[in-house]
Amino acid sequence: MTRADLTLIAVIAVCALVAWPMAAGASSGGSGSVVVVGPEGETTARLDENATLQIAGTAGTVTVVIDSGTVRVTDSTCPDRVCVHTGAISAPGSMIACVPNGVVVRIGGEESDGLDARVR
Amino acid sequence: MDSTLAFAKSGAPVASGVASPASRVAFAAALIALATVLGLVEAALPPLAVVPWLKPGLANIAVVMALSASGPFVAGAVSGGRIVIIGLATGTLAGPASGMAFAGAAASLFVMWGLSRAWGSLSPVGWSAAGSAAHVCAQLLAAATMLDSPSLLALIPGSVLIALPLGALIGSLARYLVSRLPWRQA
Repeated sequence: MTRADLTLIAVIAVCALVAWPMAAGASSGGSGSVVVVGPEGETTARLDENATLQIAGTAGTVTVVIDSGTVRVTDSTCPDRVCVHTGAISAPGSMIACVPNGVVVRIGGEESDGLDARVR
Repeated sequence: MDSTLAFAKSGAPVASGVASPASRVAFAAALIALATVLGLVEAALPPLAVVPWLKPGLANIAVVMALSASGPFVAGAVSGGRIVIIGLATGTLAGPASGMAFAGAAASLFVMWGLSRAWGSLSPVGWSAAGSAAHVCAQLLAAATMLDSPSLLALIPGSVLIALPLGALIGSLARYLVSRLPWRQA
């Protein structure tokens, strides 16, 4: 590795770090909601109510399970099943994408500042 | 692949140090074979825990080797060829996953080639790190476009930070392999 390599890697890393807060701030939607966007439109559910959603995707069905404040894709008709391997998400702004099915599962919520609660 | 490599080797050491056209073709074919094998191995690897859509990009070892030893055209052939072959082998060729693969590979190759031309003091380690950053950006852009879901772009910064060290690792492996080639390519 040359000095130039290190410089380049450092510059890209700094750009990514600078962009991080902007990217995190871009997440929106009602707090504590689960937004599922599929080829047939958008479905919204509450994060605190256990539910199983069957979402119609472009290649079949995506099964989304909401269970005690976490969301995961338990089954999907796609070849690589990246969505299933993503596991459970619970933080506002985090998401699961199933590209072959054209389905994105996202937890809505105001911009997360990393605090659990704020006392005024 | 052994016989292909033997052919690449036999045609190589011309007096000027420039490889013959036949050996260049054989070398490109050997690299496509290498990229395909590495890509299939990667497809069989278990996904990373938190970020299952991120892969180390083992097949890029062959692309970086091609760019370093034979130039952008061979690198393009290796990159495009292995996507088609792996797509056929895993049954994802016509699907959106291959669209993401092509977007990532094209962006990565373009960035690596541009850097190798414009910034001479960079080594393949730097090309590969920047290339893998470009790869994840292009893939997420392609996914955000195909899914009509701009919120996916929020994944870019974190993915780039993971891609940089993986890309640097791939680049240093490629540089090592090129340094061990028993003949010179031009």
